[in-house]
Amino acid sequence: MKAAAFDYVRASSVDEICRLLADAGDEERKIIAGGQTLVPLMAMRMARPDMLIDINDVAELAGINDHGDHVSFGAGTRQRAIERSDIVSDRLPLVAKAVRNVGHQQTRNRGTIGGSIVHGDPSAELPMAALALEATMILRAVSGETEMPIDGFFEAAMVTNIEPEQLLTEIRIPVWQDARIGTGFHETSSRQGDFAIVAAAAQVALAEDGKVTRAAISVGGAAPSPVKLHGLEAALIGKSADGFQDIIALVDEEIDAETDVHATAEYRRRVTRKLVSRAIDDAIAEAGK
Amino acid sequence: MVDAPANLPNYRYVSRKRRTKEDRRFVSGRGKFVADVEVPGMKHVAILPSPHARANIISIDTSAALALPGVHYVLTGDELGEATSSLFHGLDLPNVIWHPLAVGMTRYAGEWVAAVVADSRYIAEDAAELIEVEYESLPAAVDSEKMIDEDQPLVHPAHGTNVLFRKTWEWGPVADDFASMPNTVSYRARWGRSSTVPIETFGVVAKWDDVNEIMDVWASIQMPQYQDQIAAALRIPMNQVRVHNDVDVGGSYGVKRGIKHTVLVTYLTKKLGFPVRFIEDRLDNMSGGDAHGPDRIFDITMAFDDEGVIKSMKIRALDDVGAYPGRAPLQLGKPMTALCGPYRINSIEYEAISVTSNKTGQVPVRGFGQSPTNFAIETGLERVAKHLGLDRIEVRARNLVRKDEFPWKIPPGSIYDSGDFHAVLDGIIKTSNWDDLVARRDALRAKGRLAGVGIATCLEPGGGNNIFEFLFNPKLEITTFVESVLMKVEPTGAITAVMCTTTSGQGHETLVSTIAGEELERDPDTIRVLHGDSLEALPTRSPVASRMAIVLGTATSKAARDIKSKMITIAAHDLGVEKDQIEYADGEFTVRGNPASKLTWAEICHIAHKQFHRMPPGHELGLQAYAVQQVPGAGGLPDENNEVPLYPCFSFQAHVPLVEIDPDTGKVKVHDYFIGHDCGTAINPDIVRGMIIGGVAHGIGAALYEKFEYDADGQLLAGTFVDYLLPSAHEIPPVVDSEHCTPSPLTSLGQKGSGEGGYLGAPAAIASAVNDALAPFDIEINELPIRARDIEAALYEKTR
Repeated sequence: MKAAAFDYVRASSVDEICRLLADAGDEERKIIAGGQTLVPLMAMRMARPDMLIDINDVAELAGINDHGDHVSFGAGTRQRAIERSDIVSDRLPLVAKAVRNVGHQQTRNRGTIGGSIVHGDPSAELPMAALALEATMILRAVSGETEMPIDGFFEAAMVTNIEPEQLLTEIRIPVWQDARIGTGFHETSSRQGDFAIVAAAAQVALAEDGKVTRAAISVGGAAPSPVKLHGLEAALIGKSADGFQDIIALVDEEIDAETDVHATAEYRRRVTRKLVSRAIDDAIAEAGK
Repeated sequence: MVDAPANLPNYRYVSRKRRTKEDRRFVSGRGKFVADVEVPGMKHVAILPSPHARANIISIDTSAALALPGVHYVLTGDELGEATSSLFHGLDLPNVIWHPLAVGMTRYAGEWVAAVVADSRYIAEDAAELIEVEYESLPAAVDSEKMIDEDQPLVHPAHGTNVLFRKTWEWGPVADDFASMPNTVSYRARWGRSSTVPIETFGVVAKWDDVNEIMDVWASIQMPQYQDQIAAALRIPMNQVRVHNDVDVGGSYGVKRGIKHTVLVTYLTKKLGFPVRFIEDRLDNMSGGDAHGPDRIFDITMAFDDEGVIKSMKIRALDDVGAYPGRAPLQLGKPMTALCGPYRINSIEYEAISVTSNKTGQVPVRGFGQSPTNFAIETGLERVAKHLGLDRIEVRARNLVRKDEFPWKIPPGSIYDSGDFHAVLDGIIKTSNWDDLVARRDALRAKGRLAGVGIATCLEPGGGNNIFEFLFNPKLEITTFVESVLMKVEPTGAITAVMCTTTSGQGHETLVSTIAGEELERDPDTIRVLHGDSLEALPTRSPVASRMAIVLGTATSKAARDIKSKMITIAAHDLGVEKDQIEYADGEFTVRGNPASKLTWAEICHIAHKQFHRMPPGHELGLQAYAVQQVPGAGGLPDENNEVPLYPCFSFQAHVPLVEIDPDTGKVKVHDYFIGHDCGTAINPDIVRGMIIGGVAHGIGAALYEKFEYDADGQLLAGTFVDYLLPSAHEIPPVVDSEHCTPSPLTSLGQKGSGEGGYLGAPAAIASAVNDALAPFDIEINELPIRARDIEAALYEKTR
């Protein structure tokens, strides 16, 4: 478990990173921030980049800012910083609930939101929350800046739609302005801190009469990528706390569960329904308070 | 935990809560583990494993690897197989050849095919990637149940079958007992392929000195006959092998058995002329380290009366030892030591079947096969209670050996030395507030959760008298598991004791210094304990089998008493009285009735070493003693009925956990854990407690999380810590213990073994709790580990 040889550059600016990515030629150049996933993969030689570009010194790539209609996260923002952020707990309670389930405190001290999203693990919590809330990703390259909606970014397990010359610099997560908002996040994993076998995130807005006016729901672990449950979100509009059980089966149509050493596809399908149901329950209850 | 039970003699050091001797170096980061051993000029090994579960090796091209700068050698199985002898098996298996590197055929995915020696491990791994091996992949034999009757690919074609051992013993009138009983239950219990998985993997450094003709070996080892096996494989005399026993072993509980690693590395250093080191990484360890544990299917029938008193049982145990058996099949033998647990069972039929498969090899794991067997027996106690509608605790109480019945002989011949099982069981019912636990369980159930309270007992044989080996292989006519200590007192009075084996966390330095201090009334903190190397050492069989407190501890007492006797002799001579007139206390030798006439400890040491003129005529100079200790209460071969007393000392535990299960996900949470335990005299209570709590964690792992899962083609699916799930601190609840002490009559201070009981009881106790939680749904799961998906699937089937 010794990594294959690689070059290492500690970058000092976004421009420098983009130039290094643009000049890669035949080389594989990888960004490293927290290294919580990449380093073990390199040790096992499942990843063998020719060059690591370390972005930890680039200050503009870290930080959480409230812009009213959205909160922006520098791609290099630590998961632990998100967990401890007042902005996040006030403005993005779903993200606050999700981040507590990411690994352990020790790994959250190093792991970043950008690394988590770009890596594309199907059961990672922050990508799920960002997907549910329809985040926008800012990608930079020498050729300029691109905005990309997160829906569609996750291609397959560990595969995302980022070009080799692109750097994820920022994630913008919309803040709902509705009066009555609630969130719910549930996951099950083999042990505390493990990747979710299944996780479900839900955020709803309620009308005065307690009926759902807006819903954002996503699941992780239930398919090769995190999935936003568009069909269920639409069906949930107009429902109330005790009136959505008949539509939960819609979940099955939107996920493509697989069997692995931790769980069977059948388990994932059945548990996904249960956890989505719990997440919606929590969200409606919280919004109704 | 109390300092010491009230019924103990008034010990100064023994059973007192005292700091352990080893902690200072571990806490300050100054332990010396194998990876800390730096030998000048040392080169590094990396391994190329087989990707195939079973394949013929057509060719190996090492030229590109050898051409890489920094690479010194690439070794393959053909060369090593020629130059070394086959490694040792416990069974008599002349046609099952085992070498560190595959010869001609690979027998499991992960088996070592080639070894690279390079300036660094990085370069060695780079070179390993450049080795080109052409394989002819073949179908693999994976399902142990198919090995007996069905036509399966042969793991060792020369052996002719995948069955390595199959034998049935009958002890007592089984047929008559079954005929006389109105009730039977039959059930299957399955123990998944788990192990001890220490944080420190196996590692070894070896240096051959061709001038002095000596092979120095530093290794993370815990194995009997290590140096014997190195010498045999390399075909050199044993006095050319020097194993350094002062290497701290970073976790083992049986699995640090890297003989193939060691033969590989010692061969390389002898051939290449420079020191060679191989430290397993996690991937090497999990798939290729041959360190898996038992993988066992039990089919059991118990015969019992209407009161739940069990009279007889029939056990069939099928164990899959993987590709190379080593000593693993003998793990079906050790459980004979306590084959009916702590229960008064009159007769037993036992069929033991060991099969080989295309999986990573099995090694001894904590308890040497006893934990799976205990789980299987306890499952039966649960079944008997259920069958009759009786209370689970009551059924156990009715079957336990009673305290006035010791020494108690069980059908296979073991003699249980002492105990008060009912007191421990009653004690844990009180300590755990059983009725309160049941009330909490019911409150959880009322909230829509599943919850269960578990109960299990276990008997921990200690002492390590491996005469059962003879029942598996008559060539192993071994009737002792000896342990030794050499003790000396310096001219200034300081005491040094030399033990003769490695330590893997058991605290042997604390053990020896505490007992020596108690016997000699000297502060244990001032007593130095060394680990002599294998050439300096007296006979030892290594710290396995919960035996060091028993055998090394008794040896220590003997040596210390010998020293004291010699000092009294010197004092009597110098003071001009008979020996029996000298009283020893607190470092002073005083003439009885004449307190002014005395000599101090230091004065006698001075005389013994420097004043020949004051010594008794003919008395040995200096102050030293050694004790070579036979396992107490043992020594004979089995009689004509295959009965033989096995281990000498028997510790007892009762476990009570409370678990909660999420009805939607099947996930189990262990809320509370209570243990009552009796290991006789606890030499150091903190060490005993550490063993017990660690054992519980280990057992919770086996019960709920850990499994080396294979697919149908023989590929290991759990080769990293992402997929092989060790319980973390989050998964282990606080453990509350209550201590009992029934001293053993066979040991110097009444001590027994304590290294295994936590692990022997926890899997059964957790299974009991989970099944209690599932009982309202008429679900029973007797296959470990019990995972969330198994529970959820069973609930789904029942409620769909």
